[in-house]
Amino acid sequence: MRKSVFPLALAATVLAVTGCNSQNQARKDEASKGTEAVKQAGDKTIAAGLDQNSSFFKAAKAAGLDATLAGPGPYTVIVPDDAAFGKLPQGTMDSWMKPESRAELTRVMTYHILPGTVLAADIGKAIDDGKGKAVLATMGGGTLTATREGDKIVLADSDGHKATMAATDETLANGVIHRVDAVLMPGKASA
Amino acid sequence: MMKWMFAAGAAALAISSPVQADKGGHGGKGQGAQQAQANRGGGQKQARSGHGGGDRQVSAKHGGGDRQVRAARSDHGSGQAHKMHFAQTDNRGRGNDRVKTESHGNHARVAGIDDNRGHGHGRDDVVRVRDHGNRMADFSGNKVFRVRDVDRGVVRFRDVDRDDLFVRRLGYGAGGCPPGLAKKAVACVPPGQAARFVGQPLIAATRFAALDPMPRSFNNLFWDNDDYYYRYGGGYVYRVDRDRDMISGLIPLFGAALIGQPLGQNFINPYNQPSYYSAFYPNSPYDCHQYGYGYVYETDCMTGMVEDVIPTYAYGYGVGQIMPSSYSYYNVPYAYRSSFADNDDYYYRYAPGAIYQVDRSSALISSVAALLTGGLTVGQPLPMGYSAYNVPLAYRSSYYDTPDMLYRYDNGYIYGINPQTRVVSNVAYVVV
Repeated sequence: MRKSVFPLALAATVLAVTGCNSQNQARKDEASKGTEAVKQAGDKTIAAGLDQNSSFFKAAKAAGLDATLAGPGPYTVIVPDDAAFGKLPQGTMDSWMKPESRAELTRVMTYHILPGTVLAADIGKAIDDGKGKAVLATMGGGTLTATREGDKIVLADSDGHKATMAATDETLANGVIHRVDAVLMPGKASA
Repeated sequence: MMKWMFAAGAAALAISSPVQADKGGHGGKGQGAQQAQANRGGGQKQARSGHGGGDRQVSAKHGGGDRQVRAARSDHGSGQAHKMHFAQTDNRGRGNDRVKTESHGNHARVAGIDDNRGHGHGRDDVVRVRDHGNRMADFSGNKVFRVRDVDRGVVRFRDVDRDDLFVRRLGYGAGGCPPGLAKKAVACVPPGQAARFVGQPLIAATRFAALDPMPRSFNNLFWDNDDYYYRYGGGYVYRVDRDRDMISGLIPLFGAALIGQPLGQNFINPYNQPSYYSAFYPNSPYDCHQYGYGYVYETDCMTGMVEDVIPTYAYGYGVGQIMPSSYSYYNVPYAYRSSFADNDDYYYRYAPGAIYQVDRSSALISSVAALLTGGLTVGQPLPMGYSAYNVPLAYRSSYYDTPDMLYRYDNGYIYGINPQTRVVSNVAYVVV
């Protein structure tokens, strides 16, 4: 009896182990793609990768965060496009540019920066693991909620306003940029 | 037969072991060896947690910034109350504390009001201050005293001039005022006076303190335009209306020098108050808190005198502000030291939430060199918000999620997390 079961068990073990191995290999291959992308980015930092005339970069500069995005990260930066800034209430950008509003502007900007390198696929996997919803921590301390809508990933701020991810995984030396179509707002500071 | 079975068994084991090796958990590197700090709260004030950011969902313990109440209060003829207010904390988020959040949000602050209006430097109080856990300063009335510095296990003693230390701790040059103004007879503009400048011609202020254009490194923070320009001096930035050459507004650059003074209304601005404000700065019958321009002012409810000033870096980042007292030595976390070393133009200091680049000539924070989160702690659950895999691309081939181990990056470290318990089990790698 033992004679006939053991080889079967051994074969099963070997098969299972090989299966695990190939899964890990797939992950390794995926990872090496990322390493390639970083190599291709060379020295270009997130700050250099942003359009210097864009509203986002101007806001980052006013908050003193442009140097931050040129430093070691890595950071994952959610960049709303200019149209998104245009949708903000009249005068918001102007008031943000004033030194007195720096705290408010910094809160908004750091709400768009995540720690580490989070690719769109990583967010997707987190959404799937979380049964449809994933919570992402931001540098400012608040959180974003990620969900899927169709084939796009949507990020929502604490008020529920949504920003859809358009171009993703723009890889640079110190992180990645994902472009979205709306400005996310951290929760109101309590009085 | 037995031998064959044994060999097969060995082979099976041999096949399975490479899979184990792939996990790449190095473990043990930089594991938080710091002790959770003891609660030292003495005196009339209870230990208060530091402001590590209320909605940082990292850890409930935010490293109570212990405060001890002023040792003595003496009234001088000038009518100003001298307050000695000092804080005790064990560690302030040094390099390898990043793996623990207990150390977060501590502020070791020594603020001494030396009577820098020229009435003499008498101080009768014998005060022992212990800040940062590895610096001991003995202010037992001597002008020059020994400071013991423990830096990476090396104990050094140096003699420090007490007055020099105090003014440096306040963040300013000689005279307790922003650098460059010590030569003036009235080096610092009293806050009440500064407030009265608003609406007055610029010359009213220049009579009191030399005003300079903003240092170049701050051009993007305070830039002159067609409507107004900025001048800086006496501890404030003045916005001057071009057409009328009148001061239209002022932005206070410091908070620490207000200790012992009544809190002027112009410092108070409840807008942009952090969300954690009420939780961390509750008002008591003795302490009334006010918020303005990135600082929390703790005042005595009865007299209105400022007792303490806490910069709220979590939301203000203090760019353009004077790096406050107690950040006078290099304290950048180890993972970042190779990137940020002090040089002739700038020095770098860590405060909760960021590593700051400080302009040497003005002691103003010129930029945020790096953003930091609240940190992960080995032994604590993975906070909500780290659900997505975020290891830097260059390390992904070594540290990828498997059913046995998850990896997350935070503040220069790659952490291993137990997938079943979601507890941070070890530091897998230090990205230096």
